[in-house]
Amino acid sequence: MNKKLLGVIDATTNYDHLMELTAHRSLAAVPFAGRYRLIDFVLSSMVNSGIKSVALFPKYQYRSLLDHLESGKNWNLSRKKDGLFFFPTPHLDVPGIENGSFTHFAANIDYFNKSTQKYAIIANCFTIFNMDFQPVLDRHLAMGCDITEICQNGHSLDMYLIKTSLLIELIETREQTGYTCMKDVVKGKQPLTHCHYEYTGYISTIDSIESFYVESMKLLNPSEWNKLFIDHQPIYTKVKDEPPTRYLKSSSIKHAMVANGCIIDGTIENSIISRGVRIGKGAVIKNSIIMQKCTIGDNCIIDSAILDKDVKIEKGTVMKGTSQIPLVIRKGTVQGELIS
Amino acid sequence: MIKKKCIAMLLAGGKGSRLHSLTKDLAKPAVPFGGKYRIIDFTLSNCTNSGIDTVGVLTQYQPLVLNSYIGIGSAWDLDRINGGVTVLPPYTASSEVKWYTGTASAVYQNLNYLEQYNPEYVLILSGDHIYKMNYEEMLEYHIKKGADATISVIEVPWDEASRFGIMNTNEEMGVTEFVEKPDEPISNLASMGIYIFKWTILREYLLEDAENPKSSHDFGKDIIPKLLHDEKKLFAYPFKGYWKDVGTVKSLWEANMDLLDENCELDLFDYSWRIYSVNPNQRPQYISSEAEVTESLVNEGCTIEGFVNKSVLFQGVTVKKGAMIRESVIMPDAIIGENVLIEKAIVPSHLTIPDNTVIKCDPGQDEIVLVTEEMLAKRV
Repeated sequence: MNKKLLGVIDATTNYDHLMELTAHRSLAAVPFAGRYRLIDFVLSSMVNSGIKSVALFPKYQYRSLLDHLESGKNWNLSRKKDGLFFFPTPHLDVPGIENGSFTHFAANIDYFNKSTQKYAIIANCFTIFNMDFQPVLDRHLAMGCDITEICQNGHSLDMYLIKTSLLIELIETREQTGYTCMKDVVKGKQPLTHCHYEYTGYISTIDSIESFYVESMKLLNPSEWNKLFIDHQPIYTKVKDEPPTRYLKSSSIKHAMVANGCIIDGTIENSIISRGVRIGKGAVIKNSIIMQKCTIGDNCIIDSAILDKDVKIEKGTVMKGTSQIPLVIRKGTVQGELIS
Repeated sequence: MIKKKCIAMLLAGGKGSRLHSLTKDLAKPAVPFGGKYRIIDFTLSNCTNSGIDTVGVLTQYQPLVLNSYIGIGSAWDLDRINGGVTVLPPYTASSEVKWYTGTASAVYQNLNYLEQYNPEYVLILSGDHIYKMNYEEMLEYHIKKGADATISVIEVPWDEASRFGIMNTNEEMGVTEFVEKPDEPISNLASMGIYIFKWTILREYLLEDAENPKSSHDFGKDIIPKLLHDEKKLFAYPFKGYWKDVGTVKSLWEANMDLLDENCELDLFDYSWRIYSVNPNQRPQYISSEAEVTESLVNEGCTIEGFVNKSVLFQGVTVKKGAMIRESVIMPDAIIGENVLIEKAIVPSHLTIPDNTVIKCDPGQDEIVLVTEEMLAKRV
């Protein structure tokens, strides 16, 4: 029996509430947990579930996403047969289809027609999880479902398992049915057997700066990261060849997650530090998320802030947000002493 | 095959017996180093950073881990359409099994590999050393000098010179004499085991050497002295910078500790000369509220709840509550139990140190402790 799965990632979503982090990048490429981007979690889950063919539908500012994924080699998806496929949407300026994936799929219907995988997983790029999709398929088959919607505590995770031929049919009849995406289908009136699969593992949904901050901080709890980072289901990401992180004489570090390639001589508490960050002597970082290649000068005080990539904070600068509204510093900016 | 200007032969078959249990199931070039790397990463990264894209890696002793680590060379960007990395193990020929009996014999057995590319120059390297070196500059020097062979040398302290193979040179850096471990050295230029040969000369001498039953088939002991005897043009290439043979437990420990010195010449953070390695795909390191980490190198995948000072921690190491690690090297996936004390030690990969264990050298001794399973079993 053909039990092979096709992976479909809808990366067309964008949220205005995340503007400060998505002005230069697709939501799928937003950095998370020190060394990953949001896409890594769904992509690794698919790969670890034995999925060999993944189609990615990006929209909006996808340069950084393509740069991150390259040929798919880091996810073991640079293959002669199948592998990773990019289908950037041709409908960039068409209004009213922002949430309608079927239009994007329709533009690339050949991919679905040519695929031999009998079933497809349709997933989004803003959910952080580490899931094996095979049990979802097993249950789907056992229950004789047409569509299985993956949920947690009864809430939809906006991820679906469907027979590829049915998906093609839904795409092709979208004008008659009025369905623009899978969400419409499961809410629709068509006579389809609609099942739910309860996923009990780690879940974070990122749809605003606040949720990005809260969900990132949640990861500092060992019982949480232990659920996301599972030994036999590794999360793959782009290799950077950074050396191990170096702690200097006056470093003091408590309750933190730190990626490679950092040089740290300051104090870090309750924070996430990404790859290649420099933290100067006497600097204090608290309750913050510091993204890749940021440089923080000596004696800075940074509390409750999100520093996007390549931010430079000049020595002695004091910056404070609140736990409700973290301060967000945009990519590549330089911050001096006068800003507080 | 497209002709190559210079290709490298990397000798990686060494047993490294002075590393004791660390090389029981592992060739010396595959021994972990620097929190993330294996020793051979330095030589392979030097090759790729020097623009040398064709490297034959000669393996013999315990090659499983080393061979699978090297793979097709993609970690060092050495998976090439033409050239790239080729692992060259000993093989059986029509009449006999040809084990590599010496460094020259290993290259001789693979003359067919070299002939495929018909290079102008051959660079002979060893996978046993920690250093960063631009081989392209050495090749330019070799060409400029019109040398038949060039040997890379480093100045060593005079009182240590009698431990090395020493090159005596004239004012133009021409080699006049090569003395292995001289009692009374007249030069302090030690051979680094890095040679560039004109391919035609190397070929001729390897063929001749193979026929000589008295030869030990070694570059330092046989080939270089023969070239000198025949008055070929040999030059010493003076290398300046960090270079360390990590052949003993103590020197391996020292080289790891050198990395913790902020002024160390071997800068792992120099992005213009990256040291590449196979990525172990681990989550970021987690440092708990009880932990203290200073003057150390820590890799991804570590979980630290104890005290770490002046130490190198590889990927996936766990340091439990109350444990104290000082001046030590903890290799991948080792687990350090609660309230353990470790000082001046090397803990090999995957070892679990039971709670409350104390590991340090006996008072008055300067030895580095290499922790083994047998040692831990005895204590229980």
